[in-house]
Amino acid sequence: MNAPQRIVQIFLLIALVSPAALIVALTIGSIPRRPLSERAVARMTSTSVVTLIASLALSLAAYITTGLEPQTWTAREWLTRSGGALQLDLLVDGWSLTFALVAAVISGTVSVFSYRYLHLEKGFVRYFILYACFVLGVQLVALAGSIEVLFAGWELLGLSSSLLIAFFHERRSPVTNAMRVFSIYRVSDAAMLVAAVLIHHRVGSGSLSTLFRAGKLAAIDDTGSMQLTAIAFFILLAAAGKSALVPFSGWLPRAMEGPTPSSAVYYGALSVHAGCYLLWRAGPIIQGSVIAQALVIMTGLATAVLAALAARVQTNVKSALSYATLTQVGIIVVEIALGFRTLAFIHLIGNACVRLVQFLTAPNVLLDLHGFEGAGARGRARWPRLYAFALQDGGLDVILDTLVVRPFFAIVRAGQRLDERLSGERPVDGPVGRETRP
Amino acid sequence: MISVPVVWLAGVFGLPLACVLLSRTRMDSGRLRVVAIVIALLLTIITTLPFFWASLRGFHLHAPAFVPGSGAILRLDELSLVLPTLAAGMWLFTIVATPRIVLGADGLRFTAQSTVFTLAAFLTEHPLVLTVAWAGSAIALRASLMTTRSKKRHAAGKYLGVSTVLFALGAILITRRTPHGSAVELTALGFLVAGAMIRKGIFPAHAWVPALFEHGRLGPAILFSSPQVGTYAIAVLVVPRAPAELLRVVAILSLLTGVYAAAQAIVQRSARRACGYLFVSQSALVMAGLDCTSHEALTGALVLWLSSSISFAGLGRCLLVLEARRGELDLGRHHGAYERKPLLAGTFLVLGLCCSGFPGTLGFVGEELLLGGAVAAFPWLGFLIVASSALTGIAVLRMYFALFAGRSREVPMALRATEAAGFVAIVAVVILGGLIPSPLVRSRESAAARLFAERMTSAGQASHESIPTRKDGD
Repeated sequence: MNAPQRIVQIFLLIALVSPAALIVALTIGSIPRRPLSERAVARMTSTSVVTLIASLALSLAAYITTGLEPQTWTAREWLTRSGGALQLDLLVDGWSLTFALVAAVISGTVSVFSYRYLHLEKGFVRYFILYACFVLGVQLVALAGSIEVLFAGWELLGLSSSLLIAFFHERRSPVTNAMRVFSIYRVSDAAMLVAAVLIHHRVGSGSLSTLFRAGKLAAIDDTGSMQLTAIAFFILLAAAGKSALVPFSGWLPRAMEGPTPSSAVYYGALSVHAGCYLLWRAGPIIQGSVIAQALVIMTGLATAVLAALAARVQTNVKSALSYATLTQVGIIVVEIALGFRTLAFIHLIGNACVRLVQFLTAPNVLLDLHGFEGAGARGRARWPRLYAFALQDGGLDVILDTLVVRPFFAIVRAGQRLDERLSGERPVDGPVGRETRP
Repeated sequence: MISVPVVWLAGVFGLPLACVLLSRTRMDSGRLRVVAIVIALLLTIITTLPFFWASLRGFHLHAPAFVPGSGAILRLDELSLVLPTLAAGMWLFTIVATPRIVLGADGLRFTAQSTVFTLAAFLTEHPLVLTVAWAGSAIALRASLMTTRSKKRHAAGKYLGVSTVLFALGAILITRRTPHGSAVELTALGFLVAGAMIRKGIFPAHAWVPALFEHGRLGPAILFSSPQVGTYAIAVLVVPRAPAELLRVVAILSLLTGVYAAAQAIVQRSARRACGYLFVSQSALVMAGLDCTSHEALTGALVLWLSSSISFAGLGRCLLVLEARRGELDLGRHHGAYERKPLLAGTFLVLGLCCSGFPGTLGFVGEELLLGGAVAAFPWLGFLIVASSALTGIAVLRMYFALFAGRSREVPMALRATEAAGFVAIVAVVILGGLIPSPLVRSRESAAARLFAERMTSAGQASHESIPTRKDGD
């Protein structure tokens, strides 16, 4: 290993340790009865974010100036077993470092906004613990060189997102919406896990750089084309859940229950683009299968059209912005499927930055205009059916409820009644009535 | 001169028995609790000595010739090396983390008795001794059920009884020295598997476990269930001998139970009942891994056994702590417990996520290994583990929001220092195990290798017995 490689690796290690250390510090600091002060939390977060940004910037600078080749760095052999070790691999190339740096800058901007936005808010420390989880998650996704690292980041993003939607958990509606969003995230996580297992079994490795290189894929025999399509399908499903692509777009407006800074960073800037980034990385797999390509294009187009319609009928600015973001996400997905990788990457970064600014400045804009959030009433008189269709987000939630949720609950409740008979209990209707002492 | 293993065994069994005796004296309950904590802590330390002391590892004491059956009466090998520490640690955690109002002298006596039977089960591989330990723990639980007023306890008692009888029959038959693969051995294995499936709550004998949690005493139910003695019995008695077809059927039933129980946990109104279903789901996944006839799946099952035991014990204690302060926990409304107990909320979330295989926790390690091995053995059914994990995550977060979100009108007590320390310790174990899993995985791999070697030995004996002679072949 030469000196430039060593320098890059050291900075990357610092970059990953920084948010992890913040999580530990804030968690430990919140255990005693007297919690950390806002100033202490702000200072710790600032230190962590500045360290993160600086180390990533220096990594990228070292990578570019020394002319290093893209490489996979094994940060740690995490699990040694007889069937082969599971490694914590980081992918070091210009794309991953750039995305990680942009994500860090966006996160840092949001953190500064958050200090003021959440001033005197009861859950101030809780917010920043979840924020630190988010920062770590997005860095793991950006720099993942193995499927295990990607999955870890993916799960952290989903969990922190759901818990932040339910940030104002004194009210019922944020909690209900958070559960709905988390349920969809679990479908996405399950799809990613299935893709990971299929990849492992087919290629014998969890290394992403190995997987996504065209040369490795060419070694797959004839029967691999269906497996390739299956892998691409599950990756698309995982990305669709995280990025609110069709048919999962219905969760996006529900996610606006959280604080504005978290809405900005999750659903404007980074988390909603995480699925795009995954698809971007999996580009070679998608382009290796015509069926997969077609599926991705159709999904992207449907998302863009639906989101464009829905954005025009929203009655609050955050929902309108989220659908505007989603419109661009749909277009980015189409660009990825068509093989325009550089365009898609620049589009992704640009959209993330623009939406962040829009989300953070929206409250001020409304104040300056002395106005209420305008209802999208322009199309209502002329095309009422289209208006209703857009207002119901294309009826996707209703379709999912009818085809998936209600049958699921019906089957499970039938099983519950059977279980109560098998265990000698009467079927229970209404609130729980327990006859025993603890 | 008395050997080191004998002294060690005397300590391992003597300490909880001393606690049983002390609970029958007139000692003040507060002082008794402190003494019990000290005893449990000593026991936990003693059970870790084999990790550092070579002469304690691999000892075995075989039964006298007049006792039927093979298998050591007492044995500490790769499989059981960590199990006494698990049992002792659970006992310590139970005493430390259970509210004083719930755990009086009777409760302490039950925990000590339960620990004795669990230790006895984990330190033997003789079928008859295992049966005695099995029956002892079932009788102790049944006795605790008798102290409840619920009429619905009878179902749990019946299932326990049937499970014990079936297991005893299987154990008696298996002690007969019959050829491998004979009808007697297969019948014995069938009884053993049936008894274990009932005890672990595998479909179709699953319904009694959630009912036990809902209508029985939660503390004894957790202490009875979480060590998963049924898993150990299957590992030492069934896995080395059973034909692949029997194991396959059990694995499929277990996988289906894992998904079904996780789905049921999502719709329950009672927190206790949801907890019971979560246990059934985790227990079923462990059973599936034991029966997958794949080295990786078996290793994953052995790791998942430990992670699910620890995390489930912690989850159950979180419920117990909340119940002691707030009464009945209905998941149909929000209880607002986060306000006064953020540490408990964090503990519940981490342990629940461990059950669902969240990265960074010990549960992820077990599920990762189990998933790889299960998919290799059952290409499509193996993905049911993914479904079970997804549904478990949803159930856990639903419980979390119901218990900790919302506004609390009451002003209940915050956590006591001992309770907080217990919860922090268990979370630390789960997270450290997830971040540095290699030592544990290597240990479980060698245990899996030992079980496979026994399977090969049995298969080799069977093929030797079935080699046709010249008379047969001509």
